[in-house]
Amino acid sequence: MAYSINRRQFMTTAAAVAGTALLPSVPAAFAQEQTTRLQIRTRRDLEVLDPAFRSGAEDSGVCRSIYQNLIVYNPDQVIVDATKMEVQMDAAESLEMISDKEIRFKLKPGQMFSDGYGEMTAEDVKYSFERFSLAAAEGKESPYASDWAHLKAVEVDDRYSGRILLERPRASLEYVLTSTSGCIVCKKAVEERGISHNMRPVGSNAMMVTAFERQRQTTLKRNPDFKGQPSGFDEFVMRVVQDPKTVELALRSNELDFSDADPTLADSIANVADLTVDQMPGIADVWLGINVEHAPFDNIKVRQAVRAALDVDEMLTAGYDGKVTRANCMIMPQILGHWKDAPVHKRDIELAKSLLAEAGIADGFTCKLLVLNQPAFTNMALVAQAQLAEVGINIELDVRDGGSFWSAGKGDEGKKLQMFIMRFNGALDPNYLAFPFASDQVGIWNWQRWVSPEFDEAFAKAAEEMNPVKRAGHIVDFQKAMEDSAAFVWLTHETLIYVHRNNVRPSVGPAGTSLTYNRFEPK
Amino acid sequence: MAGYLISRLATTVLIIFGSMLVLFTLSAAVPGDPATTLLGPQATPEYAAQFIEKMGLNRPIPERLVIFFGNVLTGNLGEDVITGRRVTEMVMAAFPYTVSLTVAAIGLAVLIGVPLGIFAARNPGSKLDTLLAFTSVALIAIPSFVIAILLLVVFAIWLPWFPVLGSGDASSLVDQLYRMILPAAALAIGWVGMIARLIRSSLLEVLGSDYIRTSRAYGLPEAKIVYKYALKNAGIPTIAVVGMGIGRLLGGAVLVEIIFSRPGLGRLVLEAIATRNFPVLQGVVLVVVVLFTLTNLLVDLSYTALDPRIRRGLIRAGGAT
Repeated sequence: MAYSINRRQFMTTAAAVAGTALLPSVPAAFAQEQTTRLQIRTRRDLEVLDPAFRSGAEDSGVCRSIYQNLIVYNPDQVIVDATKMEVQMDAAESLEMISDKEIRFKLKPGQMFSDGYGEMTAEDVKYSFERFSLAAAEGKESPYASDWAHLKAVEVDDRYSGRILLERPRASLEYVLTSTSGCIVCKKAVEERGISHNMRPVGSNAMMVTAFERQRQTTLKRNPDFKGQPSGFDEFVMRVVQDPKTVELALRSNELDFSDADPTLADSIANVADLTVDQMPGIADVWLGINVEHAPFDNIKVRQAVRAALDVDEMLTAGYDGKVTRANCMIMPQILGHWKDAPVHKRDIELAKSLLAEAGIADGFTCKLLVLNQPAFTNMALVAQAQLAEVGINIELDVRDGGSFWSAGKGDEGKKLQMFIMRFNGALDPNYLAFPFASDQVGIWNWQRWVSPEFDEAFAKAAEEMNPVKRAGHIVDFQKAMEDSAAFVWLTHETLIYVHRNNVRPSVGPAGTSLTYNRFEPK
Repeated sequence: MAGYLISRLATTVLIIFGSMLVLFTLSAAVPGDPATTLLGPQATPEYAAQFIEKMGLNRPIPERLVIFFGNVLTGNLGEDVITGRRVTEMVMAAFPYTVSLTVAAIGLAVLIGVPLGIFAARNPGSKLDTLLAFTSVALIAIPSFVIAILLLVVFAIWLPWFPVLGSGDASSLVDQLYRMILPAAALAIGWVGMIARLIRSSLLEVLGSDYIRTSRAYGLPEAKIVYKYALKNAGIPTIAVVGMGIGRLLGGAVLVEIIFSRPGLGRLVLEAIATRNFPVLQGVVLVVVVLFTLTNLLVDLSYTALDPRIRRGLIRAGGAT
């Protein structure tokens, strides 16, 4: 927040005053400095501010500030452990679990949509949720359809009340309701505005989009019709900054007040007086995967040999400069179902060699390792290459750009894969984290092409088990099946880093994954 | 002269068509399933099928080529995969930012480089001449994005005189010009030395020619000889080099736009690559190719305006006899 006038602002003002005769709008622009404004970095332009078709985390952050959910996570809790989250009512006055398959809700009366679109009703809730999986909106299916996969219907009882009916119990329903996929849009506005609603959204939350300038910035201002807790700031300017070095300079020069950051930036900015660096464990999965269908990896002893030959800690030092912790299983410690007793595989060259000998290829072999062309992954791949060479496994690195990398494991193309380093951006729901490894994902996300009835069974049970303790047991079970396959070498869950001015209290959501700008507060 | 003009125009058209062909071929040759490549891994099979149908990706390649050429020639560069916006509209919105930055950088480089070169040519062996000889090579070798970061550190952090981010308030010309100073300087610095060196060497050569000696024998003032008669001819090689350098400047502008978080074609390209948005990528590349080719045509034609011998067909453009 820039409350004082520095030299640059003075010069801008002087130049603006000099040009006043030509440009009458300049004094008005200067007057904006009087508002409490927060400048936030986004990595790229906002694209689609429609919850069902959002294009990524940037869109999600803004969606959560302009739309309401039935329930949200309590913003006052400082949460790293997502298993201990508390929820509170948002648009709902009450929410009641009638059974595992029926949830009754009642909306607070008088919650108004912006731009004169009137009061939120149960019809809007029905429309918002059903358009994910029951009705294709504008002929398009939502890429987030799986969030509402068990939805049977939303029945409207009266103007404010309704029931969410599920085909089967859904253990992660709370996560879905609180996530961007649980945002409530205005049916009338979406239908009237069509594609233009993507960038001129109508919501009922504390903020509203007032200006969108492609490649420059998006401005959010307080929604005057919002009756709940107002935002801590009058205005948010979401500025598109791609280059990490520019992020650092902009933070140092007061042109940004909040940004996520790469580990390298955290170090260089840690001692800047006006800035605070927050770090917390990440929830991404990064692993080395092995295609179990491809010879010689169809022999489990070869996969075990690869696992024994790798030194994960060394790979992480190369990839992340030692700024992340090691992962030993898929589910991270802060998510329900973390397998805390998962084996920690230490490098054992002799074991690796003996396993290769048992597999009948004591002389080793040559194969390919596919990686995305980003420094962290290529550096880890180079270390893996050197380590595997010591046991006779000669790696040819196959470094690809995003476009060709992300299609490499799809369909029949995926049969050619041998080994790869993969990153999957996580979420708070363990079933969401695990779905890429299910049998029905072979040729889609399951690039290991690993089919395990044990995994599928435990995965299905975990999806429907409402008792958290029993559910955690099923989640550990499917991780054990993954461990037994030796098709996965877990690397890290990464680290989340946010930088902000000392006088700002950001709201990053449970496990640091859900930025909610309207809950940012001045300190 | 007419023949020369027709041949240059024909070459320009051929280059543009050739570039379109290469662009199409490269897009078609991208490995992997095109829908996954374009839509990303989250697309459902149904949506991917819809998309392939809509984009015509299931049609034979020759048919797609004809459609592509037809669309481009009618100004239709396709649709943004993510938002459905027209690529032409997106490119046209970003285009002025990049062009204005490039033009400002050239203007700045010429404004500083030409007087320096003239001074050095009129005072060979002077301290400034020696300094110029040393620094020009060093400045040309440093990439513009490195200069951009250095300028930001010095003039935005140590001396907080200039802003780091953006192109300024769209309604304020003053703000926009103020925010263009550092990025334009970052692009121009390398060219200042080059232009000064070129002007110096050309001017020294021209000042030693017969017609200059004759002019001096007639007693014309030295300033008139230098600025009116010598500089015109000495400038031709510089125009050629600057013209050829437009492409390099555009490339530099891409990086400078990213570092200064300015809108422009560079940013558009980077975002298109990050989101695998090939229609946008194709559109931007095509516009840059056309811009580059037309600039070179204009540079070639400018010779004829500056040198009557080219108009009369006595020598070829570029100075070759």
